[in-house]
Parts: sequence; structure tokens; C-alpha cells
Amino acid sequence: MPRGAFSAVGIAAALSLALTACSSSSGAPSGPASGTGAAGGALVVGVTSDPDTLFPWKATQFQAVNVLQNLYGTLTEFDKDLNVVPGLAESWETSDDGKKLTLKLRQGVTFADGSAFDSKDVKDSLDKIMDEKTAAVARASLSSVKSVEASGPDTVELELSGPDAALPANLATVNMAMLSSDDTEEKLNATPNGTGPFTLGKRVPSQSITLTRNDKYWGAEKPKLASVEFRVIPDESSIVSAMQSGNVQLAVFNDPLVAQTAEGGGTIQVAKTPQLNYHALQLNAQHGDLKDVNVRLAVQCAIDRKQVLDTAALGEGEVTGPITAPAFKSDPNKRPCPARDLTKAAEYLAKAGKSGGVTIKTIVSQGEYATSVNEAQNLKAQLAEAKITLDLEVLESGAFVDRWVAADFDAAVALNGGRPDPDGSYGRYFTSKGNLNKVAGYSSPELDELFQQGKATTDQAERKAIYEKVGAELENNAAWIWLFAGYTYTATTSGVQGFVPMASGSLQYLRTTSVG
Amino acid sequence: MTILRNRVLRRVAETLGILFGVAVFVFVMLRAIPGDQITAGLGTEAAALTPAQRQALEQYYGLDQSLVTQFFSWLGNMFTGNFGYSARSQQSVLELTLHSLPVTFELAVFSIVLALLIGVPLGMLAASRTNSVRDAAGQVVSLAGLSIPAFLLATTLLSVFAASFGFNPNGQGFATLVDDPLLNLRQMLLPSLVLGFGIAAPILRTTRTAVLEVRSNDFVRTARAKGVPERRLQIRHVLGNALVPIVTMTGLQFGYLLGGAVVVEQIFSVPGIGRQVLLGIQQKEYAVVQSTVLVIALAFVLVNLLTDGLYRLIDPRVRAS
Amino acid sequence: MSGLLRRSPIGLAGVVILALLAVVAVLSYLGLLPYDPVAQHPPARFLAPSGEHLFGTDQFGRDVFSRVAAGVGNSALIAVVAVAFATVVGTLGGLVSGFYRGLADGAIGGVTNVLFAFPPLLLALSLASVLDRNWFTIAVAIAIVYVPIFIRVTRGPVLSLREIEYVKAAVSTGLSRWQIMLRHVLPNITSIIVIQVALSLSWAVLTEASLSFLGLGTPPPAPSLGSMIFEARSLVFVAPWTLIAPGAVVVLLVVGLNLLGDGLRDTLDPRNRGKR
Repeated sequence: MPRGAFSAVGIAAALSLALTACSSSSGAPSGPASGTGAAGGALVVGVTSDPDTLFPWKATQFQAVNVLQNLYGTLTEFDKDLNVVPGLAESWETSDDGKKLTLKLRQGVTFADGSAFDSKDVKDSLDKIMDEKTAAVARASLSSVKSVEASGPDTVELELSGPDAALPANLATVNMAMLSSDDTEEKLNATPNGTGPFTLGKRVPSQSITLTRNDKYWGAEKPKLASVEFRVIPDESSIVSAMQSGNVQLAVFNDPLVAQTAEGGGTIQVAKTPQLNYHALQLNAQHGDLKDVNVRLAVQCAIDRKQVLDTAALGEGEVTGPITAPAFKSDPNKRPCPARDLTKAAEYLAKAGKSGGVTIKTIVSQGEYATSVNEAQNLKAQLAEAKITLDLEVLESGAFVDRWVAADFDAAVALNGGRPDPDGSYGRYFTSKGNLNKVAGYSSPELDELFQQGKATTDQAERKAIYEKVGAELENNAAWIWLFAGYTYTATTSGVQGFVPMASGSLQYLRTTSVG
Repeated sequence: MTILRNRVLRRVAETLGILFGVAVFVFVMLRAIPGDQITAGLGTEAAALTPAQRQALEQYYGLDQSLVTQFFSWLGNMFTGNFGYSARSQQSVLELTLHSLPVTFELAVFSIVLALLIGVPLGMLAASRTNSVRDAAGQVVSLAGLSIPAFLLATTLLSVFAASFGFNPNGQGFATLVDDPLLNLRQMLLPSLVLGFGIAAPILRTTRTAVLEVRSNDFVRTARAKGVPERRLQIRHVLGNALVPIVTMTGLQFGYLLGGAVVVEQIFSVPGIGRQVLLGIQQKEYAVVQSTVLVIALAFVLVNLLTDGLYRLIDPRVRAS
Repeated sequence: MSGLLRRSPIGLAGVVILALLAVVAVLSYLGLLPYDPVAQHPPARFLAPSGEHLFGTDQFGRDVFSRVAAGVGNSALIAVVAVAFATVVGTLGGLVSGFYRGLADGAIGGVTNVLFAFPPLLLALSLASVLDRNWFTIAVAIAIVYVPIFIRVTRGPVLSLREIEYVKAAVSTGLSRWQIMLRHVLPNITSIIVIQVALSLSWAVLTEASLSFLGLGTPPPAPSLGSMIFEARSLVFVAPWTLIAPGAVVVLLVVGLNLLGDGLRDTLDPRNRGKR
């Protein structure tokens, strides 16, 4: 009979932990970096779950991407400031009409199994990524590529349908990893075979995954750590405990409060990095009252973003416009109603003929990330003062994803992934042919034209100007309501040196890390 | 003889019926939860899939078959020992279960032993004088056990021990009893304390009630009148006869622990069978959840049968008839 | 009942605690709380407990006392509805199962056994995520978990009552089975049911708290004790009162219900009578 009491609590707590565990897996890292250390050592990284797949073309889970990034190589890479730098391609060149990209490959690179990397592997990899049957997640990033030719052992030519300035950046994600043409998905799921700084050592499912140094790594600087173990500790606060007792040396947190707890003890250093990911109230401009731009603008003017940040995330983050990438950053003060303005909100509602108020059905995910429900509650309270009723539907994360994918909502409280290139971030949402346009719920000829221009020019200053216009266009029409971007926290114990946190959350600098 | 055989046959048929019911139920429930393995893996990125990509993935995960086919091919495979395959872990569900079941089993045994060590003596003490200070103490302990949520106790213990004493064996990689018995035992200590404390409450209450009831029986009075020493009386006569309900309660709790230790497994990073189900649900790995739940249900039923057997063995009344 | 309770100090303690909480809950139903439990005042964030805010304020500047009070009201409502549902369905199931035996018994017993063998973790998660989320469906989800317990508890006594002479006599007078069940069997198992109800209420409160804690309970911003604990879990170092207040009240509520259950058991259960 006591089964009742006991089980109920049990169930509940178990689930909550599970949910927190996934929430922590969606973020990004940052951290302390100090001078380059001496040699080697074995590092233990605390993670809340193990990779859900070891196949790089299908990996979207944060933990999987972090592991795979250290096993596989890509044609281009990002440096610590998110600039595109050479990877497996030593250099690249665009033809004058912008319709051909020629890549010069690095020589003497080998896969973990010892076989040589050459242009055949590149052609084969890109062809397979573009094939729908592979179901590769980065397929759409290659939509401008018409064909791939291996014109020599170390030269690859990409035939494009038009200029695509975002392509080099698109090639830098692990979803574009270069695989050996002899490998299959099945083989790689069991035995990863890449060109990265580490190779797979040992795996105990749901418990740990250990990487060992790749002594044949092509980089000028060889990896220092003899091994890196990603140890699964499902509860974030248990990771903090494991760091305090010295069993784990590095971990990445998204929850500011967990970071604070970790820092509190004094033995753990915590560094914070602003994220590319942004919190937004997505509006569906094809649904109900939100079709009217004036209603959307009313919503925009009725929100004090700083208050959302302060109440939901305890002020840990920055109010942001649409573009979060450092090189293209939007200025949040240039938007209409940069500060809350209830009079203006009322005017917009009057213009829309809705002075009596509107009701917006809003979906919120519980468990996907820590602050969602708090944001929703504060938004609801703020909008209520402007006669805008947010009808909140709090959903378990699976149900939220289903509804989001089907664009079955008026509005959605969301944490979306930002990318280093604004075309990569928003082209897929806000161009009329973008594969996420249905979910974004807004497009216009002006935006299509601007995104087109952004792809056609390679000049950095010109591109920045174009994406500024994109940002303005999005906010003047209140396509969505951009709120704020949070931080990621990298916690390390005292012996860890040489790690560089990135705004994308990447752990790629494990290759320069050592532990003393 | 035939009566016995019929009874055994009936029990077996009953067990199979229960398992089939559980199989149907878990299958239906899982599919009623929104989302599938594709959206669980890709999250919101699933919105970017083209129809052809989605189809390729459905085929890959076997989601393109009809539900009836899925159900019976899974159930059929179970009989041949094929419990399905977990793509996430790159292992068969059978292998996974062979690793996780013993871990949870060990945790359950330790927890039950601790619960009995706390619950039975306190229960007897409480019953020795009702409405006394001892009784009140027992009441307080059992109320605490019933009212303090396990997750609260677990996180508190873990962080206090790790931060203040640097004692956190669970932060090291998990060691099985075979790998490193000493480390394994240290890793089991806190989790089984938390679980044991929770279970001690019902055991304490059962003991108290049972002892009270037995003591009011005539044979105890007779024994006392005959001059049987008090200690011997308490242990041999009273406890001996109060054992039946205690054993029943213990069995019930043990069976429950096999599937219900998840919270504690989660907080202390113990790779048990509860976590296997939880991960399966999160990743929507249907085969993992279905097969594991069936294994848990089977274990539950077996423990109940065993308890029944034990009950017959120790209950003087059943023995007599 | 008051007479019975007077004989049990434990039960009396339970009644006192529950009465106190009931007053608070009634105040919340009547809207007589010091503050609106959902109104946000961001400038007044994280105020420590004081005369003005008895339990302090949370991260939205909401009054924690008012929220706890409203939470008690919500949690109690859900628990009562859930247990009422489980009691009616479970008792009926147990009566039919024990009295008719045969096919009905087999079917009901089968369902009960399956529900018992099913890990409650999965049962609760599934039910809570499959059903639409409002306070009523949550009550139903909780009820389904508890129905089999009521069936088990009532079936046994009904089976033995069936064999008792006066019930047999009633059968021979030509009363219908339902009349016998309601007039002669049910009154004899009421004490068992009453005890079970008191204990189930405490479990239901914990379950509701737990579901909310998971984010599968009462949707925000309506306060529930579980969701308050969930929101405050990570605030424990910033504003401990946001966690301590709802946590303590949940424990108090559960303790009160358990004490009442124990008191009832001590006085109502025939096996316990005359022991003191």
C-alpha cells in the first residue's frame, strides 16, 4: 500500500531530473583559459547524457556534436572568434561570376584507420549529404551546390547555381564532416573513423565515452591530452558535486544558478560567454489576429525585454536583436519601441481595430530549457496590461516539438540556435523558400531580395550592411519578438589549462587543453 | 498431485496473461505520447526534413510498418530472445538489460536490508508500549520516511558529503561488484540509504501493527504465564508470528524498487534498469522501453510469486492446513 | 466521528493541522488573500520574509504566502477529486469483483494485476502527457493510478462477507444482488474505505506535487505547491524562502493527512479496537 506514496514522489522526481538533464544538453559552453600547459594528462568532462548517435551527419544533440567534433574534421573551421578558417581545405577560391568554388585540400591527412584522405572522399561525402535518402541534417546548406567534381587528388570543384557567400561557413559544422568513401553509416555508428584530433577509445553506453589522442593529427599543434573521458552524470548538481570532489575537471552549464553554486565553493572557476542562441517569442504571422502587422507591433511595444531577462533568467544575459553573431550583431536600440510603450501598443491595437484586446494561443515547452516557463509567465503578465491575453499551453518537450514542427501555434516561446553566419541563421526561416518558413510564419519579397544580396556578395562590410537591413525589416514588421541571449558557463578545476570557450558552445579547443 | 499441477498451471497462465496485458498497454501508451524517434533525435530540426528524408528515416527506424505488424514482430522476437536493438547505445536490449538489471537488483537488496534493519527494531520498540515516547519516536521516523521526498534527501546527502567531506564515490565512473567490489560498495552506500529510509516507514508500520496484533493473542499470554523469558518471547513468539505481514510488505517493496529506483539512480549516476527505461522514453526508442518494461513486470510478478511461496513457508496457519 | 477522534490524540493532531490549512484554502477560494497570487511586481523581487510579506516574494515579485495559500487550495481540490473518483470506481470494482466472482472478477482482477505490474513511472508520465492539461485531467490521471488499490482493498473483505450467514440469509429473502451489496455489504466495509481514503489523500497530494514538479501538473501561472517547488529548486541559494515555504507546507499537509489516517485506523479498524 505505501507503494502509492513512495512511487508518486519517485516518479515525479525522476522525471524532473530527466527533464533538467535534457535541458542542459541543448546549450553551449564557455570557460576559463590560461597559458598553454605542459604535456598531457587525462581529462574528465562531466556531461548529463551520452551522445544519441555517433554518425556526424545526423547529430543535432549538443553532447553528440561535442564528442564528434573532436573525432571528425571539416573542410573549413571556425576560430575562437567564429571567423571561417582553413580546415581540411587549405584554401579556397570563388570564380568571378561566383558560380564555382575551388577547394585546395590539405595533404598527408589520414583517417583514424590509417587510410589517406583525398578529393574522392570529399566528393563522396558531399554527394551523400545532398542525397535525400541519407537524411543528412545539413542538406539544405548545400542547396546552391549543383555538382561536385574531384578534379585532382587534392582539388575539388563545386559547381553552384549562383553565388553563395555563406557556403564556406556552412562547411564548418560537424554535420558536414568528411568521411572516408569506404565507410557506411552502420560501420561508423560502431567505430567512428575521422580525421579529428582524437580517436574513439572506449565506450560504455549511458556511462562514458573516452577519446584518445590522435598522434597523426594534421594540425601544427598536436593535441596535448592523452585522453578525454566524457562521463555521464545525469543531474547537473551532481556534476558540481563531482567537480568539488575532484572526480571531474571540466563541465559546461547553461543554468546560471548551477554555475553560481559551482563557483560558491571556491575550488571551481567559472567563465561565462555570451551565446549565439537567442530567446524569442515566435509569432505566426499566418494565424488569426497576428496576420495584422499592427497587432504584432502592439505585442512588440508592450514588452519590456529587460524585465523578461531579469525575472526569468535573473538578469544573466543580454537583450538582443535578431542577429547574435559577433560580426553582424544587431543593435537592440534601433528597433521600434526599444523601451516598453503601452500608449503606442494601444495605438497599434486601435489601428488594427482590436481596442478590446486580442487572445494569442502560445505554446511553451517545459523541460527543454530552464527559463521557458518563467519567460512565458512574465510575458503573459506584461501583455495583460496591454489587453493582450497570452493563452499559455505548457507542453512536455516531445509534444512541443510536434506542435512546433507542424507550425500549430499562434505564438511560441522558443530558444533557437544562432549561427556564426546570419544567412545560416535566418535564410531558412525568413525566405519564402526556406525549409523552416512554414514555422517562421513570415516572409516578404523584400526579405527574399535582401537574403539573395547577402549571398551574392563576399565583401564583409557590404554583407554587414545588408544583414542590418534584414534585421530592421524583421523588427519593423515584428515578425517575431526577439528577447535576449543568455550565457554559457564553463566550469574547470584548478589544473585545467589552455581551454578556449566559444560562443557556439563548441568544445573544439579540447585539442589545446591540458590538465596538470 | 493434480490439484497442485492445476494450481501451478493456473499461476503460469495468469502470469502470461498479466505480461501480455502489460505488453499491449506499454505499446499503446508509448505511441500515444507525442513525438517519435525522429523528432526525439532531431528536436526542432525535424521541421527542416524534406518528405523524402523523413521517409528514409522512418524506414531506418522501422516506423513505416503498421502498428499491428510492429507489435507482433516485437512480441514474436521477444520469444526468440531478440529484445530489439538500441541504435543509441549500439547494443542489443538484451545486453543492456544484462548489465543494468543486476545493478538495480543489488541496489534493491541493499535498500531492503537497510530498511529492515531500521524498520523492524523500531517497529517492535514502538509496539512495546503504545502511546509512549518510544511509540511517538517510531511515528516520527515513519512520518518522515513517508513525507520527505526521495529526491530532496538524495540531492542534500550528495552535495553535503561531496562539498564538506570530499566523499563522492559516485563521481567516479561506475564500478560493478565484479570490477571493483570496494568502490562498488561505497557507490551503493548513499543510494541505498536514501531508498532504505523511504521503505523503512511502511515496514516500521507493518511491524508495529503486526506485533500488536500477535501480542493480543492467547498463546502469547499463555507463554508468558508459563514463564518464557521476555527476550525469547519477543523474538521467537511475537516476531516469529508477525513475520507474515512483514514479509509480504518487504516483497511488495522489493518488486516495486526494481522499476522505481529511477530518481535515486539518476541523482547518483547508478546505471540501473530504471534509467534504461527513462533514456528509452526520452529517445523514443520503443523497443528499449517495451522490452525493458516487460522485463520489469516479469521480475515484479516473480517476486510476488516468491513472496507467496515464502509466506506459505513461514505462516504456521497455512503450513498447518 | 468526533467522538472517535477524541480517543485518538494522533488523529486529533491531524485534524488540527488540516483545519488550519483548510482555513487558508477557503480564504484563497474566497479571494481573501493579502495579495493576488498571480500578480507580478518586478521591482519587489526577492524580498525576504517580513511583516508585509510573511513568506517573502519570488523572482516575479509575487507574494509567496498568497501563492502558498492558493497552492494549498489547488492541491487540495485536485487530491479530493482524484480520490473521490478512485474511491467510487475502485469500490464498485471491488464490490462487483468480490460479490459476483467468476467472469467479472477475472476481468477486473486482470486489469488490476496489469496496472500493478506496470512501472508507475511510465504510467504517470504517459497519462499526464497524453491527456490535455488542466486541473481536472490531472485529477483523473492520479485517480487511475489509485483505482487498483481501492479494488484490492475492498475485494478481500467482500469475499469473506459473502460467506457470512446474514448475507446469505438476505440472499434467501429474494433481495436483488445490488440491494444486498449496497444495504448489507457496503456498510460493513465503510471503515476500511474511510481509512484508505485518508491515506490516499496524502499520496494524491504528493503525486500532484510531484507531477507539477515535473512540469506535468497544473499549468502556470496558477500556483500549485509542486510547481512552486519546481520553480524554486534552483533559487535555493538566492532566495531560500521561495523553496522552504511551499516545501514545508507540502510536508505539513501530508503529515496532517497521514496523522488523520492513522487516527482513523486506530479507532475504526475492528482489529485495533479495544487495544488501548
